[in-house]
Amino acid sequence: MSRTGRFSLRRSSAVAGRVLAQIRRDRRTLAMLILMPAVVMLIFGFALGGQASNVPILVDNQDAGYAAAFGTTAVSLHAGSQVLTALQTDNVVSVTTGNFTAGKAGVDSGTYFAAVLIPSNFSQTILMRAQGRNVTASILLYIDGTKPSIAASVLGALQGSVQNASGIKEFNLVQQYAYGGVKLSGLDVSIPSVTAFVLTFLVLLISLLTVSRETTSGTLPRLYTTPLTALERLLGYILSLLVVGIMMVIVVFAVGVGLFGAAVRGDPALLVTAAVLYGLVQVLLAVFLSNFARNEFQAVQLAPLIALPSMALSGMLVPIYSLPGWIQPVSRIVPMYYANQLFEGIMLKGYGASELAFDFLALVAMAALFLVLAMSTVKDRIDA
Amino acid sequence: MFKEGKIKAVDGLTLSVRKGEIYALIGANGSGKTTTINMMTGALAPTAGRITVLGAEMPRHRHVVSSRIGVAPQEYSLYSDLTLEQNARFFAKLYGMGSGDFQRRFGELNEVLRLKGRERSLVSNLSGGMKRRASIACALIHEPEVVFFDEATVGIDPVLRAFLWDYFRSLRSNGLTILLTSHVMDEAGKADRIGLMRAGRLVDEGEPESLMSRHGVRSIEDVFLKLSGKELNDV
Repeated sequence: MSRTGRFSLRRSSAVAGRVLAQIRRDRRTLAMLILMPAVVMLIFGFALGGQASNVPILVDNQDAGYAAAFGTTAVSLHAGSQVLTALQTDNVVSVTTGNFTAGKAGVDSGTYFAAVLIPSNFSQTILMRAQGRNVTASILLYIDGTKPSIAASVLGALQGSVQNASGIKEFNLVQQYAYGGVKLSGLDVSIPSVTAFVLTFLVLLISLLTVSRETTSGTLPRLYTTPLTALERLLGYILSLLVVGIMMVIVVFAVGVGLFGAAVRGDPALLVTAAVLYGLVQVLLAVFLSNFARNEFQAVQLAPLIALPSMALSGMLVPIYSLPGWIQPVSRIVPMYYANQLFEGIMLKGYGASELAFDFLALVAMAALFLVLAMSTVKDRIDA
Repeated sequence: MFKEGKIKAVDGLTLSVRKGEIYALIGANGSGKTTTINMMTGALAPTAGRITVLGAEMPRHRHVVSSRIGVAPQEYSLYSDLTLEQNARFFAKLYGMGSGDFQRRFGELNEVLRLKGRERSLVSNLSGGMKRRASIACALIHEPEVVFFDEATVGIDPVLRAFLWDYFRSLRSNGLTILLTSHVMDEAGKADRIGLMRAGRLVDEGEPESLMSRHGVRSIEDVFLKLSGKELNDV
């Protein structure tokens, strides 16, 4: 075998050295290589660091207390207050006391995750059972079924509080699910946020690639000499990518709703409007960001940099109120947060436009912001 | 002038191109030819100095002038994943041409530039020479008054080069003004006037014959060598 035919580690290391030199030259890539794992680890660490906590619930304690005689001993019980105190000290839930009807309305509007009614005869029933009567105490729970894992945590907190409070093992938990009263399947509850994620990641990725391809194809210098203005070019990108975004929306719903049969309780037209609006936000964000990418490689890196933190901060993985306090406000500037609100609201809760007006407006405002940013950073000449 | 950081790419360049002439800007690689063309076509803003094209200041009035000029950049600057016709139609639309006008003009250009039969070919499948001609066709599609060809004949065979020069001369006889750049000195002898660039400056200018006689040499290349003192003058 000739010398050049032999495997040469030296040549391999030449290739490795050259690749590293190229990465070192590309400052943006280098920054991304260091920044991205750090950002993703930090955000996911915070987001997934604990179980559900601070889940907002309303408790209506109507328990009047009860006194009964056990032989010669008189026993007085205020079990409702004990349950309430136990819940207030449990950091899984964040308790507001109030009227059960108002609490149910609060669950329907998304203010509370659950409303709990401790009836006036709660203590009485417990003591009567202790006296040997065939009665069981009950608690009424009106709960948001759109997030099964949080519902399970709330249920656990409630059961634990009742048992600790009065030492009884048996009580009825009468559960009512909000939004139509039907228990939702795992698929139902995951499709809205998966839809939001797919639109976030893929629309962003395709848009970034498409726009940055113009930069790498070498056609920009010629375009700069034609009557095409930078704004016309920008609008051209936006229109074409919006078509792509709409196609993705159709595919996502065809599979999610058509194939898997995910629930859509609200107006399908409103759902499509929300999805297209969110697609537009992502397109505009991508067009803006691609003004800073010098090549397709840099552009591609931006997609996960946006999409992964969005996942953690949009409520997709962990509810916003379970995130550390200082990070919660950040979720309000994440477009995917509003997309989640809209998709869950329409698909699971059957909300209409009036309930979701704020989320729609937030996305419209973000679209406008990204459009202005894209317009103010688009280049209409060769980079100096 | 165009200055980037401490490097002056083009400095102290004064030239004027007459209506209806072929003006060849020649110089070594890196002498500032492309930068000059980019400034003239409005793709690059000069950091100092003044440029007028068709009586309008560039790049300030770029959007007025742009529909009257055509540019074939040094890189082909075509969408390689589209067909020749799709490329040409796209540029025609940017210049506001109607479909009828486009069909007529595209047919004419394909005939003259010998691209007939390749209209539906992807640009990526065209040969280098064909890409060059396709790029020229896209620059001429809207019947401009002034065209800028940056290294239009680089990397093509002598037969095609001769053909292109014949074509440029026929365009000129139809009243077109052509400014082209080349680093192939001798072919510039076919231009009406030549400007020699070195390190961002115009070192001499004139008709090919008068340049050669003025410097007492027999070729444009010799004129260039004489002016550059035989130094390596890549910037």
